[in-house]
Amino acid sequence: MSDVFSNEPGIEAERLRRAEEAGEDYEVGLESLSQWQLAWRKFRHHRLALIGLGIIATLIVVAIAGPILMPFDFATIPVPDKIVYQGSPPSLAHPMGETGGLQRDVLELVVNGSRTSLFIGFSSMFIGVTIGTIVGSIAGYVGGFLDNLLMRIVDVMLSLPILFVILVAGRFFGNGSVVLIVVIFGLFSWMGVSRLVRSQFLSIRESEFVEAARAVGVRDRRIIFRHILPNAFSPIVVVASLIVAGNIIGEAFVSFLGFGVSPTTPTWGNILSNALTFIPLGNWWWPMFPGLAIILTVLAVNFIGDGLRDALDPRSRA
Amino acid sequence: MIKYIVRRTIQAIPVLFGITIVVYGILLAAPGGPTAKFAQNPRITQEMKEDFKRAWGLDQPVPVQYCRWMGFCSKEVDAKILGVLPAPAAFIGPKGWPNLLPTPLSGASNGVLHGDFGFSISTGELVNKAISRAALPTLILASSALVVWLVVAILIGVYAAIHRYSLFDQAATVFAYVGYAMPTFWLGIMLIFLFSGPGLNILPAGGMTETRVSPPFGSDDYWVYFGANTVAAILDIGKHLILPLFTLVVVSIAGDSRFVRASMLEALGQDYVRTAKAKGLPARTVTFKHALRNAMLPVVTNIGLELPLLFTGAIVTETIFSWPGMGRLTIQAINSFDYPVLMGILLIAATLTVFANLLADVAYAVVDPRITY
Repeated sequence: MSDVFSNEPGIEAERLRRAEEAGEDYEVGLESLSQWQLAWRKFRHHRLALIGLGIIATLIVVAIAGPILMPFDFATIPVPDKIVYQGSPPSLAHPMGETGGLQRDVLELVVNGSRTSLFIGFSSMFIGVTIGTIVGSIAGYVGGFLDNLLMRIVDVMLSLPILFVILVAGRFFGNGSVVLIVVIFGLFSWMGVSRLVRSQFLSIRESEFVEAARAVGVRDRRIIFRHILPNAFSPIVVVASLIVAGNIIGEAFVSFLGFGVSPTTPTWGNILSNALTFIPLGNWWWPMFPGLAIILTVLAVNFIGDGLRDALDPRSRA
Repeated sequence: MIKYIVRRTIQAIPVLFGITIVVYGILLAAPGGPTAKFAQNPRITQEMKEDFKRAWGLDQPVPVQYCRWMGFCSKEVDAKILGVLPAPAAFIGPKGWPNLLPTPLSGASNGVLHGDFGFSISTGELVNKAISRAALPTLILASSALVVWLVVAILIGVYAAIHRYSLFDQAATVFAYVGYAMPTFWLGIMLIFLFSGPGLNILPAGGMTETRVSPPFGSDDYWVYFGANTVAAILDIGKHLILPLFTLVVVSIAGDSRFVRASMLEALGQDYVRTAKAKGLPARTVTFKHALRNAMLPVVTNIGLELPLLFTGAIVTETIFSWPGMGRLTIQAINSFDYPVLMGILLIAATLTVFANLLADVAYAVVDPRITY
């Protein structure tokens, strides 16, 4: 935990680092260290969460290494000289079958899609959590009019049918670009986090250790980053896992409707979108495998979320 | 109690107001603007575009446009302050009363406040008419889904809670996890492959009625046909409803059956349940009269909060099964840059959400006698 301030610029950081070394605040350092060890010990005993972690780790490896081993090029058509319409079912050479039309390998599409889909799911979560934490911290710590204003904005955003708004935004601003889709999803997934962080701030702000810190003259910024945020961290992580799951499904849907990532880039949603026209031919393997990939990912993320909830909830501490 | 309801309703007003600003802002920020659809047409000159903008009042500054769209300002008065803001005179309606008052008083009928969402840019039809035509199919889908969803979720949840850790409970848990992770639209696609593909072609893949037999749903001809062949028409809709309905409810049931189970387990663990059992009441009475009633309290709130999700889910499902409802209208409107229709849909959906939340709060206060305000 001592690296929380490593990116703080200037003299302030230097002063804090010295204070750190001199042993001030030592109880916080010790406490958080044991908290994480304790959490990991509990997380390890959550079998499903470990399985989920394994699945996600595998998927991340696939997303990084897969496209290198099975490169996808939109312009390269596997069987350029033949006019074939019907795809072919899973076989040894193509374990997930081949698509109808251009005869692409479904495995290749799914592997390449995993990179985009996971990237969108995780990075939009980071944007959302960052915005949510900032807004929630300000609202919870400052309070008063600003708090009221920010929370009314959250109310408004939560009342909007977000999926619609994302569809509209995807069509009008997305241009099929992955980065823009990430930004759009990020901008619409911070509300839950901000409410949560605010409520954490409201309760922790009044606790004795914050009062003590304030009494000895600790600055606001240090109280926020050093005393309150680390304590609000665990519920944020749990909500973050839900956001990843939601955004992976959301991206698939938006791309499925053709308002998301451009069809030249494979994502799980794009593969499904292309498969739809082949329903009369019964190419079931084409939509099935990207869908199973989505389910597997979301399931794994949810399991991890469950495990984290159990491990990080201080009330369930054994 | 009444005071509480009134207070919550008043609190909803700024949120609704904020929603109109956000909806207006999003569509205002969209590139191209309402003339974007002419971009590819070489025969439309810049001058014609300007005329188009003037005819629709799009040449006015943004605050004036918003003010007129909302119905605060009269569309007859062009006076402005600083060239940007609507002048006080603009807020007065034709009859000399403030423009935002109901039509009989103010004489004004423009703007959202008077229920006027304008005209669709792509078809020229009244937005109200387009939306109300699309609302009925969505309502049919969403309301039948709501019934199935609630009944099945409560049945599964209660049974799983009573027979905790049984085979059924474990199966329900697995179903809940998988169902909750399943993208609605993917389930829809797979169901179409399964039941309407070449293998097992027993259910229609899309639409709401058999178009070879009946006129398109919602048209005047259809209602004539409906009057003549009521039973056949209802059966036809029912047949088309099966797949979308199933698609729509699975995810909701997956989540809510767990919620009901947890709530029921908590109620079953309460002291008064033990007391009731100790008194020697039959297990059935204890379960259904003592535990279930109390277990339903959080469920009621949860339903209120999930109603908007049902609406969104219906839209998702509609797009897959080409159900002629709000979902399809939305997609059409997005594709044709039809701003007035989009604003109308977004606004209605958001208003529904606000009222569903309000209803959930009030319902909770009504059903739980322990809560006093």
